[in-house]
Parts: sequence; C-alpha cells; structure tokens
Amino acid sequence: MESLVVPCQEIQIKIDYPISRKKRKYTNLADAEPIVLMSVLSSLHAGYFRISLSLCSQALLWKTMVHLHSDLPSMPSYLLWYLALATQVSLCFLYAFKCIFFFDLVKEEFSHYIGVNYLYAPSISCLLLLQSAPLLEPHSVLYQTLFWLFTAPILTLDTKLYGQWFTTEKRFLSIMANPASQVSVIANLVAARGAAEMGWRECALCLFSLGMVHYLVIFVTLYQRLPGGNNFPTTLRPVFFLFFAAPATGSLAWNYISGTFDTVAKMLFFLSLFIFVSLVCRPTLLKKSIKRFNVAWWAYSFPITFLALDSVQYAQEVKDHVASALMFIFCSISVLIFLGVMLLTAANGKRLLRRDPVLWSATAPNDR
Amino acid sequence: MEESSSCVQIQVEEELPTLLRRATTEEMLGFDNYKESNLPLPHFVSRFHHSHASTTNLSGQEASREAMEETTPWMMPKHQRKPSLSMPTSPNVLMISDPTSSSSDSNNNIGGSTTGKSVKFISQPMAKVSSLYLETGNDDDDRYHHGHHHHHHQSGRLQNQNPAMHKLKDHRYNSFKTWSGKLERQFTRKPASIEPETPNRAKENLNTHEAMPVDRYYDALEGPELETLRPQEEIVLPSEQTWPLLLRYPISTFGMCLGVSSQAIMWKTLATAEPTKFLHIPLWINEALWFISVALILTIATIYLLKIILYFEAVRREYYHPIRINFFFAPFISLLFLALGVPPSIATDLPQFLWYLLMFPFICLELKIYGQWMSGGQRRLSRVANPTNHLSIVGNFVGALLGASMGLKEGPIFFYAVGMAHYLVLFVTLYQRLPTNETLPKDLHPVFFLFVAAPSVASMAWAKITDSFDYGSKVCYFIAMFLYFSLAVRINFFRGIKFSLSWWAYTFPMTGAAIATIRYATVVKSTMTQVMCVILCAIATLVVFALLITTIIHAFVTCELFPNDYAIAISNRPRPKQSSHHRWLDQLRNVSSENIENYLKFTDSDSSHSNDLEAGNNGKAQESDSA
Repeated sequence: MESLVVPCQEIQIKIDYPISRKKRKYTNLADAEPIVLMSVLSSLHAGYFRISLSLCSQALLWKTMVHLHSDLPSMPSYLLWYLALATQVSLCFLYAFKCIFFFDLVKEEFSHYIGVNYLYAPSISCLLLLQSAPLLEPHSVLYQTLFWLFTAPILTLDTKLYGQWFTTEKRFLSIMANPASQVSVIANLVAARGAAEMGWRECALCLFSLGMVHYLVIFVTLYQRLPGGNNFPTTLRPVFFLFFAAPATGSLAWNYISGTFDTVAKMLFFLSLFIFVSLVCRPTLLKKSIKRFNVAWWAYSFPITFLALDSVQYAQEVKDHVASALMFIFCSISVLIFLGVMLLTAANGKRLLRRDPVLWSATAPNDR
Repeated sequence: MEESSSCVQIQVEEELPTLLRRATTEEMLGFDNYKESNLPLPHFVSRFHHSHASTTNLSGQEASREAMEETTPWMMPKHQRKPSLSMPTSPNVLMISDPTSSSSDSNNNIGGSTTGKSVKFISQPMAKVSSLYLETGNDDDDRYHHGHHHHHHQSGRLQNQNPAMHKLKDHRYNSFKTWSGKLERQFTRKPASIEPETPNRAKENLNTHEAMPVDRYYDALEGPELETLRPQEEIVLPSEQTWPLLLRYPISTFGMCLGVSSQAIMWKTLATAEPTKFLHIPLWINEALWFISVALILTIATIYLLKIILYFEAVRREYYHPIRINFFFAPFISLLFLALGVPPSIATDLPQFLWYLLMFPFICLELKIYGQWMSGGQRRLSRVANPTNHLSIVGNFVGALLGASMGLKEGPIFFYAVGMAHYLVLFVTLYQRLPTNETLPKDLHPVFFLFVAAPSVASMAWAKITDSFDYGSKVCYFIAMFLYFSLAVRINFFRGIKFSLSWWAYTFPMTGAAIATIRYATVVKSTMTQVMCVILCAIATLVVFALLITTIIHAFVTCELFPNDYAIAISNRPRPKQSSHHRWLDQLRNVSSENIENYLKFTDSDSSHSNDLEAGNNGKAQESDSA
C-alpha cells in the first residue's frame, strides 16, 4: 500500500474572542440599537468616508455658487460647511479609534482591492473642506500648512499603490482594476486644484500629470473589462458614477492651472458629460443596487457634485443659454440627490451603522 | 441503383419512425393511377415535403418511375416531377399546374426566385392519411425552423435539392420576415391540415425575439469579418439555395457610400487646395462624384430600408453581430462626408441645424455601443474589440471636422473629446491583441487599413477646431502616416483574400490620409510634401478604381456580389458539441498526460484542426484504455 501523501495546507484561523462574543449577543436581538462602541468601530470602514466626501463637495459647490451669484444667501453654505466639518472630524476620530483597537481590520482593508482606494477619501474630504472654508485665505500660511498636511497621505498612498501596480506581483492592475480605483485619481486631481488655488503652478502640474497618467491607464483597463478581473459586487454599483467624476475633477483642476476654461478643460468636461448620460441611460445597471439602502448610496452624490461644479465653471466661461441650462440642471440634480441620500441615511440609521456592506466577504462579521 | 419499387420501399421503411404509417399507392385502393393517363400530374401543394420517407412511399409509383435517376434510395432525384397524391374522395378543387414549370422550379440552382404561381390543393383529407400530413407538416416546420436535424450531417437528406413548393419556400424565410407571412396567410386559403402548424410558428416567433448572445456569433462564425460559417454549424435558412436579395443584402454595403463620398471630398480638396493647385484639377470631377455618391446613398438606403421593413429579424441579427454593428455607423458617416464634399457650386455655407440633425444618430448609437463596452454584459471590449470598431470612432472626428468647418465651437469639441477618449481605449486594446480577443484576424486583411482612418481625420478635425495645423494635429498626422506605411509595405500579405463588399469601407482611410497630407502640405510647404500628396491621392484613386472593376466583375460577370449571408442565419441554439472555447479544457481533463504533448503541438491550429484533435485524442484514449 502506498502511503498517502496529504498535501500540506496552512489554514489560518483567527479567533476574535471578545468581540465575537459581544456580537453574538446582538444577533439575538435583531433590531437592537448598537450601543457598544466596539461594534460600531468594527463595522466602520473607509467607505463611510463617502458621506464626508459628499458633504464637503456639496459645501464647495454651495460656496462657489454663493461667490458667483452674490444675491444667494451665504448662511446655508456656512452651515453646510460646519456640518461637513463636524462629520469629517467625527469620522476621522472614529477611524482613528478603529486603527487603535482593530488595526488588523484596517490592515485587511488596506490589502483589499476595493477598500484600499477609499483610504484616500479622508484626505480628499479634508482638502475639499480646506478649499471651501469660508474665511480662509488661499495664500495664508495656515492654508499652506494644512494643504501639505492633507496631501502627504495622498502622496504616500500613491507611491505605495501606483508603484505596486507596475513593479510587484501583489496588485496586478489587470486583476485589481475596478471602478473604485478612480478615487486615487480624484485625490491627485483635487490636490492639484488646491495647489493651483494657492498659486503653486509647478506643484499643481506635477500632481495633475500624476493623476492624468494613471487615469489614462485605469480608464483603458476598465473599459477593456479584462476577463481575469474580479467581479465587482452589485451593491457597489453606485461606484460606477466615479467614471464621470474623474474627468470632471480633472477639468476643474486644469481650469485652475491654466487660468481659463480652455479646450483641454472643455474636453474633459464633455467626456464626463458623455459618460454621465451614458450611465443614466442604463438604469438596469443600477437597478439591482437600489433595492436596499447601503452606505454605498452616498457614492451617487459626490460625482454629480463634481460634475455640477464643473458645469458652473463651464457656464462662467461660455456664457451661453445651453451652458447655463446645463449648470442649472446639474446643480439641482446634485442638491436633490444629496438631500435625498441624507434623508435616506437618517431614515435607515440603524442599517447604516450595523450592517457591513458587501465590501468584502472574506471579513464578513459574525452577524451575517 | 434501384430496379424495383419494392426495394425502394424496404429500404425506406427502415428509415421511418414507427409512429408513422407507411402508406403506399399500391396499398390504397382507388388511388388514381397516373401511369396510363397522359395528363400532367396533379400537384399536391402543401407543407408536405417529398424527401420525407412517407412521401416517397406514397408516391412510390413516381419513385419507381424515376428510380433510374436515384443514386441512393432515400435521395430524391434532382429533376423530378412533383409526386402526386390524390384522395380517394374526389377533391373539390384540383388544380393542375404545368409540370414543366414545376421542374424549372425544382432546378434550384438557378436563382432562388419563386414563381408567381402558387398552387393550392383544397380537399377533405382522409383520416388515416391526414395524420401523416400533420406529422410531416410539423416535422418540416421543425426541421426548417428549429434546425433539429443537422443539414450537414445527414448528407442523405438533401432536401434542398428537392423542388420546393412555393409555399414551402416562403415559409422557410418566414422566420426572418417582419410579419412572418401573416399578411400572406390572410390572403390565401389554406387547407385545414395546415392549422396545427401555427403553434409551431408562434414558438419560432418567440424564439427569434430574444437577442442572440454574442457567444453564439463567436461559436458559429469565423474569419476576420466573422462571415464564414464554421463547418459544424447549422443555419436556419436553406444553404443550397440563393436567398431573396433582401436577405443577402448586408449592412456593409454602405461601405460603398463611404468609399465614393470620401473620393468626392478628396477631389474637391485637390481642386481647391494650394499645394495641388499646380495640377489644375477641374471641379467637375468633384461634382460628378458627389452626385454619384448621392445617388448611391439613396439607392442603398432605400434597399436597406426595405430590408428593415420586410425582414426585420435579419436586421436585428446584423445589429447583434459583433462586427456588423459597426457598419450601422456607415450611413451616417456617409451623410457627413456628403456634407463635407458638397461642391462649392451647390452650397458654400450649410445651415447649423443640419449638423445637429446629422450628429443626433451618432449620439444615440454611441451611447449604446460605448456603454456596452463599459458595462454591458458579454460585449466587453476585451472580447469584441476588432479593427472595424474604428468605424464607430471615426464618426466622432468627422462630425467634429464638419462642425468646425461650419463655424460651431462647442459641439465639435464635445465629439472630439468623446472620440479621442474612446479611440485611446480601442487603440490600446487592439495593439494588445489580447488572448481573449477572438475577432482579430490572424493574418493581414484589408480591415487593418481602418487603423489609418481615425488619426488622419482627428488631425484634420483638430486643425479645424484650433484654426491651425499645430502640434496636436501634427502628432495625429504622423501617427496616421506611420500606420499607413507599415501596412503598405506589407501589401504582399494582402493577397488571396475573398472579396466582399465591405472592402469599400476600407478605402476611405486611404482617401482620408491623402486629404490629411494635403492639409499638412498647406502648412509645411515643400516639394516633398507635394510629391507625397500626389502619390497618396494617386494610390487612393487607383485602389478605388480597382475596387470598382472588381465589384462590376462580381456583380455582372460572376453574379456573386451578394452571396448568401450566413452570418445572420446562424441558429440560436448552441451546437450539441461543446463550444471550441472549452473544448480544449475538457480534452485536457479527459486525456492522459502523454496526449497533452500531442495537444500542445496543435495549439496554434484553428477549430477545424481541433476537430481532428478530438478524433485523434479519442482514438488515443481508446488505445490507452485497451492497453
């Protein structure tokens, strides 16, 4: 008799003893309020920063509108800015606590191909807050310091992530590319816009070219939809809206870099417009994800806000009826969606904090 | 060779399903016996097909009479008169048609046109025999519309060689007709025996309403233009006959409009541009070509419109074909070319609303196609990318060029941006030649000239938008020139490829490159650029001329201009065998390791070789089993 050769396989079993116990308590009480901070922290992930992204971008939009049309009241925009600030600060604190207590979960998020992109989101929100701050002068020292403080994480993540794309075997772009990868591009472009606002043209150009080059690569890869790629979960379909957020942000950045809304900026704006119309004409794509509320719904809000911002700049340059109509349409859509998602979040508060969206099934919490 | 009718009966009897009762003319008493009479044979015209075994038996007399002509017992002779059948009860109406005309019908080798006469036999069928008719009628439905039997495998049943009855021929194309012959049915009275077939017809209508998945096209077709049927595939239309013209009329015919109208633009540019003024080209060439292209577009569009109205199913299938879909842009691009090449004597300034009108279909089509690339199920770009996709991209640049020459500002930039972004994606994908990409031709094919189209038109469009032939335009122009020359030096590899009408579409890139060179020569004035202008224009003209001659030869001499369009007739059901995609996977699972070396030797072969591989592997597997 031949001896059986059993293939050796290492199976890692992770026992989260104290947490799972507490979690099991809550599975029995199906609709109980999450009163322990720990469960909130463990279900929090970087995707929740979509909320602050939407709030901050909305604040930027309102500030821009107020600047352009001085007859609009400025109080709502201030209020919104403070709300955004509060949300961002609290989310940052919560995430910091999570890093302290559940660092392994954060590490897992970092290694996940979708989750890693949202690690840019806190920086983007902070930069947007900075750019929409009501009383802060772009050339002040405080602004510059804060700008560098918020851009540093972006640059570090860039080096790590983009470098891994073409050097190591860890994250093959052909496999890892997914619509959420565009968040990294948006981060670079928002930073470019901030730098251009401060007057640092070279820095802005550097960040812009970094963002655009990687946008090119991601754009081509995503359009190809290589068959080896991982499937994108259906609940995250709202993230498809990022397809038109990236060129819109690029257009905004180039507008500030070159001073006027010139041809390149227009082309990026039109591309973003085309992709938006193309997505809107495909309701079946998003139908499946609309069935149940999810924090991913916030991903509907900020791309449209960026597009609205872009259309505002476009209408400023091209003083045309068509442009003004576009601006009006997009701004109203943006505000409506923002308010709608906010109301839905308020209505589904329990589901927001307790349920872990299908971001990754490998780290499914025990109450699934 | 059969000597007696009894032999025929015995052999055919084995073929019969037991459900059917064989009824011979000898058995049935009182059958009309036309041996003695000199009258022409009456024809029973229904959905009853002669090649079916029962028919052979029922007309055993006819079969015996023509037994000398039969080579195999179950094969129906080619030049036979239609077998007759008459009921014991005297029929109410018995129409006798001329046997000579029927025999000319049976010669299906000559064009597939149905004669005007359609003979109907109306009577009360006998109870016993009527079941036969119903069975066979349904079987015929099944055979033609559902393709249950493999036309290619059952070589004995060469049904297509039989004289088809008029109504039968119509029904075979009914699945492609827009109204499925319902109108015809209203106007003609049918025998009561044909009623049961309507559930089958309804079933087949439902079948054709669902969209064909793109996998079916890839499994069933091969070739650089996905036009050739794979050997094992079956089609839902008769393959031995020539189909109605409208069914054979592909959308790629619009390529002719593209070729001719781009020539009109070229001759207009030659006559009016500075670098070529020394040639003294008259403007009437442009005018003549322009009028020819207008006439051509109108003709082709009318015919295709008829096809849409009458054979909508065929148009649907072309729409879902991964390569033909790009040709749906061709009519609109031709209209843009017409607007660009309009002779100065007719109109110098075109109204701006015309541009919006012309670009509107582009927006609709593009939203559909590009959206499919991004998010639409099976038609992902890594799978369906092929050089013909350039046709969907070029339209953007042509529209931008037209709009900029009309004086519009924002619209051209919009289309230029959209076109450039998607062109980038397509360009990278095609250059990659991804292994998942099935439609890229392995050898060179004229379709590769489409690579030259987009950058050359983009350079012209950008020059018009920015009012100067600056760096952006020059970069695009040089890319176009590089691609052109890298294809031109490989001209030897283009030999030996079957002509098709879509080749006209591949001539407009050469014309576009010539026009771009003229624009370039306007800015960079030197002898070298002027020489290049002349050479490129000459090449473009020669190619179009040669293509014209070839088309005329095919149209009038060999009558092969519109061959049977097998690409739209593939059946919707997958083959019983597995698709070639996964065949190698299963082979690898089934065969032992020593056969893997054999497989690896043949990995580069196409599907026809893998058929042999299957046979070889099965043989080897049997050997290894027995060993």
